[in-house]
This record gives sequence, structure tokens and C-alpha cells, in this order.
Amino acid sequence: MAGAVPQTTAPAGPTTPVAARRLVPERDVALLLGPCVLYLIAFSLFPLLYSLYISFTDLRAADSTGSFIGLGNYAELLSDEFFWNATFNTAVMVGAAVSIQVILGTALALFFNLHLRGSWFVRGALILPMLLTPIVVGVMWRALLNPDWGIVNWGMELVGVDPPNWLGSTEWAIRTLILVDVWQWTPFVFLIVFARLQVLPRDVFEAAQVDGAGRLGMLSRITLPLLMPAITFAAIFRAIDAFRSFDLVYGLSYGGPARATTTLSFLAFQNGFQFQNYGYAAATAYVMVIMLIVATTVLLRRIAVRRTDAP
Amino acid sequence: MDQQRADRDDLAAQAISDVLVGRMTRRQFVQRATMLGLSGGVIAAVIAACGGANSSPSRSVAASQGVGASSAASGAGGAYDPMKYAGTKIRILMTGDENDHRALGDKVGQLKEETGIDLEITSPALGPLIEKTLQVLKAPEAEFELINYLGFLTTQQVGGGYFEQLNAYIEDPAETDPNWDFEDFADSNLKNVGIYDLENQKLGAGSDVYGIPGLHSGSVVYFYRKDLFDAAGLQPAKTWDEFRAAAEKLHTDEVAGCSFIGANDFSLATVDWYTRFITTGGQLMTGSPTTKDFKPNLNSPEAVGALQMLIDVLPFAPENVTTYGFAENVDAFSTGKIAQMIFWSTIAGPVFNPETSLVAETTDVTPVPAGPGQTPRAILGGWGVGIPKNVDPAVKPAAWRALTWITSKEMNKYFVEAYQIDASRDSTFNDPELVAKFPYLPVAGEANANAQPIETTILNDFFAMNDVMNVEFNKALIGDQDAASACANVQRQWEAILRKAGALA
Repeated sequence: MAGAVPQTTAPAGPTTPVAARRLVPERDVALLLGPCVLYLIAFSLFPLLYSLYISFTDLRAADSTGSFIGLGNYAELLSDEFFWNATFNTAVMVGAAVSIQVILGTALALFFNLHLRGSWFVRGALILPMLLTPIVVGVMWRALLNPDWGIVNWGMELVGVDPPNWLGSTEWAIRTLILVDVWQWTPFVFLIVFARLQVLPRDVFEAAQVDGAGRLGMLSRITLPLLMPAITFAAIFRAIDAFRSFDLVYGLSYGGPARATTTLSFLAFQNGFQFQNYGYAAATAYVMVIMLIVATTVLLRRIAVRRTDAP
Repeated sequence: MDQQRADRDDLAAQAISDVLVGRMTRRQFVQRATMLGLSGGVIAAVIAACGGANSSPSRSVAASQGVGASSAASGAGGAYDPMKYAGTKIRILMTGDENDHRALGDKVGQLKEETGIDLEITSPALGPLIEKTLQVLKAPEAEFELINYLGFLTTQQVGGGYFEQLNAYIEDPAETDPNWDFEDFADSNLKNVGIYDLENQKLGAGSDVYGIPGLHSGSVVYFYRKDLFDAAGLQPAKTWDEFRAAAEKLHTDEVAGCSFIGANDFSLATVDWYTRFITTGGQLMTGSPTTKDFKPNLNSPEAVGALQMLIDVLPFAPENVTTYGFAENVDAFSTGKIAQMIFWSTIAGPVFNPETSLVAETTDVTPVPAGPGQTPRAILGGWGVGIPKNVDPAVKPAAWRALTWITSKEMNKYFVEAYQIDASRDSTFNDPELVAKFPYLPVAGEANANAQPIETTILNDFFAMNDVMNVEFNKALIGDQDAASACANVQRQWEAILRKAGALA
């Protein structure tokens, strides 16, 4: 309400923000923002609220009536062994993949910060995997790891290494999923950390050098602490993304063998689109949302990231 | 015709007479004629001579249950006019997961030329198709005049009463092309996707027709490498013991003795396990959902035995067979790495095509093996096409016209010829020209005729139940549990699903 702003100082000139706000009448604000707000309501807010409603019903494709069952789907989830299996798989995948990506991405950023000759070219090639769609990555790696004609097994056998059963054993399938996720997304962590490295204050390092700090000391006591906001940002962003990972699983392993790579997203997909059990699928998705909100909040509080620290 | 009849012995002549006067259906005639050793050319000539005249009493489509010809077919009584509905637009919702939409797309222009009807094809993948179909069927007015539905979902979709009864159209000579020939559809497919007793909720019972088989059907056949079998002095297996023995004998470092779907895949349970299960005397379900005693028999000796058979042939299968899905199996067989396997007959096309297969000349097909005293048979696949009840009544006759056109003999033949899609018509399976080109067709036709729908398709939870089987069986194959535990786990999980669905008290 521009007219309600108290004028405690001298009357504002035509360039002050208050005056600028006065230039846009209230009805115009509604006119300008209205379409965006309507769009958001129609395509974001309504689907969100509708899917929340569906999660409280037993809606299935077969009858499509969907009676209200309160928290029935949520209660069923808690006793569903497949849900807990998917939760475990998701936790393993997120924990392992993001940890490896953070370590590798940071190491690569530090290495490329040496600015060795020709590194610009390798740097460019390095980020190629993250430009691919995860479904393509999944299908591509499935072909590469094909036990009969895949190039990976062929190469390993050529050098006398017995290839593992990449996607055929419960032990190896989740490792393979993590491996492919690491291959695709380590460049993302690298990019974020590398960008931060370029803007670190030089005077701190010069002062440390004057004080006689060694390379290792500077790395552990100056570089890494200064990089921490960027690393944290990359880790949280990746964790959220990996937590929702569906397309990679779909293309690479289709949740198998024996549900060894079924993640929460894939479980929601199966219930929704394979079994047409929409209420249950929506409940699974909302449990994922709750998990994400809780985990992100706790994580952000613990590491006390300030907005100004963001890269 | 007289000359041909005279050339045959008495039995053959009797069969020809019976089919000509309508005492025998064409399918019965084809079976009888095959047994009597009549050639494909003679069979085809006799069937052609039948024209559209013969109607089997068991296949009577006389208007019934209150639906008369006059109520359905607006032009009853007049002569058949192919251009009667020229200028009408018909929209079909069909699967985009197979080649059917491509084959149909090829012929849209011809349909327009011959009937004046514009056909618009919408072909999503299976999941979205099911969802969209249910939306369309339950809307106040359908946005698609024709819907192609999966046979596994007939009970849900046709049994829900959402499709128009077609008997009156079939009977009406003004609405149905005299050459369309309803009698020619395979009985098994009609009972799987077409005929339904709504009052008693029984698939395949009665004579009310709600869907027409198409655009493809099919079952499971036994593919084997005749060069390897000949070299080893073996005959294709007729029993599962022979199958295992052949696998052991033919297994080398280069060629696996056998293969199957070992991955967590739809076909693991429905093709490899189910075929072994029913051909060794297994019965998947007993009771009925309506009486709340629909009980699975997954812990039966036959169920465990069928899974054990797969475990027993693991040493003679490709090393990574537990990762083999549909594509891997076809690839491995087509590149000559497998000596024998049972699989959907629909893969015969690529396997027998020299451009896509290294073993096109050395492969043969035969019915699947079976236990002692059992008929070789397997699961019945395929699709149906119907007209939603909520289609604008004025457009329904035009929808029927389009439906008969796309399920005609000519189209069915084109589907097989151009894309090797599994046929839905007896005449296609036995077409001399096609058989000369694709020798597997009569065997595929026999498998199709003997096939049976899997009992759980009458439940909405069919796909979820199938997934449970695939996961547990896959676990057994990769050595995480034994066959008995796998079957017990499926039994436990199925009972929970059935109780929740109200099908088991």
C-alpha cells in the first residue's frame, strides 16, 4: 500500500523507491502480476494441493471414485516392506553418491585450479556428462555394461580383470547405480567449487605464506574452510536431486534385481503408473517431500549456512 | 471345389462339406484339415470358398439381451455402402508400445479412400494409455470413438460395462462389410477380449460381444535351432525333462543350451514360469473374487516345481541370464547364442528376418513342451478394440465402420506381412502366401488357439501381483532364496493383496 507508507523524512523526489512505487497504481500491479499468480495457482499450487488430497483417498484407476480414507495410505506405508526397502536404497544412494561426488568434485577443482597447460580443454570435456539427460545416461550405461556385448566388460576382460555382474546381482546393482550417478554429477560439484576457488581472497593466502604456512596447512586451514559454503551448497543441491532420482533408475536398472535399486521415486512411479494406485503413490511422494524438508532444514541449521555465504 | 473334394479321402471330404454348409467353424476345419494333412493351399481355397456364409452355432451373434439390430445400426435393412460415413472423423486411442500404431498409420490414407472416414490415432505408452482409457470411459462423452484395450484388462474395462454391445452391428448387413467375416477371429481371442457376460461378470461366457480382437493377439511358442538339434541328433523337446536334457547336451562356451527371461521382468512370471506351471498341472487360483475365496496356489508343488525348473537350467543358460529381459533374450537368440527357448510368438518376425537375425535360416518353432498328459499351452496375450458406450450415438455406426475396416482380413494380413505383428484371425495364421514367407505362422496360430488367459487378470491388482512374482522369482534365480521360499513369499504377498481387494476373506 504505497499510500500508507509513513513519510518520516523529507518528501521523496521522483527517483526514490517510494515515488517509483507510486508510479505503478495498485490496479496495474494486479494486472501485471495477475497472470503469473494465476499460472502458479493453476500449474503449481493446484496440482500440489490436489495430489495432497489424493494422498488421503484410495483413488485407483480402476474405479476412479477415490473415497476419503484419511491417513490410511500413510499408515499403510509405514508397514509396507517395499517402502522401507526403497527408503533404505534411497538413503544408501544419496549418502554414498553425494559423498563421493563432493570428495571427487572438490579434488578435481583443486587440481584444475593449478591451471596446467591444456586444462581448459579437459575441463570442458569433464562437464559433458552433466549435460546429458539422466534417462539417456541410464540407457547408455546399461548398454556399456551389457554382460554379452558391453564395451566395459570387453575392456576389463582384455586386461585380465573378471567383470562383476554389474546389474544382475543385488550387491552390485546399487553400486553400479551409485557409480553412474557419480560419473554424471561429479562435474556439477566440480563446477561450483571451482567457481568459488576463483574468487577466494588472495590476501589471506599471501598473509599465510608470509607467516610460513605450508601447502597442506593452507589447504586444510584456509582453502577448505573458505570453500565450505560452496561445497555445502553443492552437496545439498545434489542430495535433493539424488533423493528424487527416478529417470536414472528407470533407464539403468528398472529398480531391479529384486528391488535392490528401487528408490522412493521409482516406488511412487510403480504404484502410480504401473499399478494405477494413485492414492498410495501420492502418499509416497508426500512422504518424500516431508523427508526432504526435514533433512534440508536440519542440515542447513547444523552447518549454519548464511545467505551471504552462498556462491 | 468338387474337384478338390474328390481328391481327398472320405474324412477330408466330410470336413470340407461340413465347413461349406456351416456344420463346422473355419477354425475347427483348419484344425481337422491340418490333422488330415491337407495342404495350406487347399485349406485356404476351401476357406475362401466359404465366403461370409458360414456361421457357427456356438458363435451366434444374434441380437440378445435386449439389444436389437434396429437399436444399434441406424441403417439396418439397406445395402452395404462403404462410403456411407464419408466425412466422419473417428479418433482411436491405442497402444504406442508395439508396432500396431505404425501399421495402422500406414493405412490411414487407404481407409479414407475406401470409406471416406478420417482416422486420427493417439498412441501413448501402456501406463498413460490405461489412465487415459479410464478417463475417457468415465467421462460424460467419450473423446475417442474407438479404444484399443489390453486383453489383461478386459475384465476391468469391458466388465465395467463401459463398452457398446456389438452384436447388432455384426448382424446388420447394411453396417458390416460382407467380407469382414466375424467367424474368422480365433475363438481364444474372442473369449479373451470380445465376449463377456456382464450379468454374471464372466469373461468369455455367453454370446454378447463388446470388443473385436485386434490389432494383434498371440501366445508363446518354442524356438529352437534346428541345425544344432540335428547335429546333436536331438528332436525338439516335447517335455520339460527333454528340454533340460537338450539344454545340457547343447550347451557350449559359444552357445547357451537354453535361455529364458531371468530379470525382474513382466515375462519372467507370465511366460517362463506360467508356461511350465500350467503344463505340469498347476492351477494358479481357486475360488472366485465374488465369493471372497479367490485363493492363490503359489505354494503348490507345481508352482515350486516350475520355478525349480528354471533354477535347474541356469547352468545351461547364458551366464547373465538373470539380467535378461525381452530385448536381451531376442538379441541373444538372433545372434546365435542360444539353442532353445520359449517366448512370445511375436518375436518370430525379427528372429526369422535375415536382416535382423543371424539364425533366420536355422531356426524353427514348435509348440511349447509340456508335462506328461498335458496339452502344450501358455498365456494368451493380445488386445481388443471396442466402442465406448458414451460415444455420441450418431457417430457410433461410423465408429463401427472404422472398427471393421481396421480389423479386416486385409489389414490383419498387412500387419503380419509388414511388421510381423501376431495375427488375430485364423485365416491370417493359415494364409498360404504368408505361411510361405513366415513358416512359423501355423504354430503361432495353434499356440494362440490353445492359450489361456492368466487367471489374475480379472483383478485390478493384476500388474502389482505380477510384479510380486517377478521380484521373488528373480531373487530365487540370483540365489538370494530357494524356489520354495520364493513361492511362499509370493503366496503371502498375494493373499495380503487379495484381502485388501476384498477378493479373499
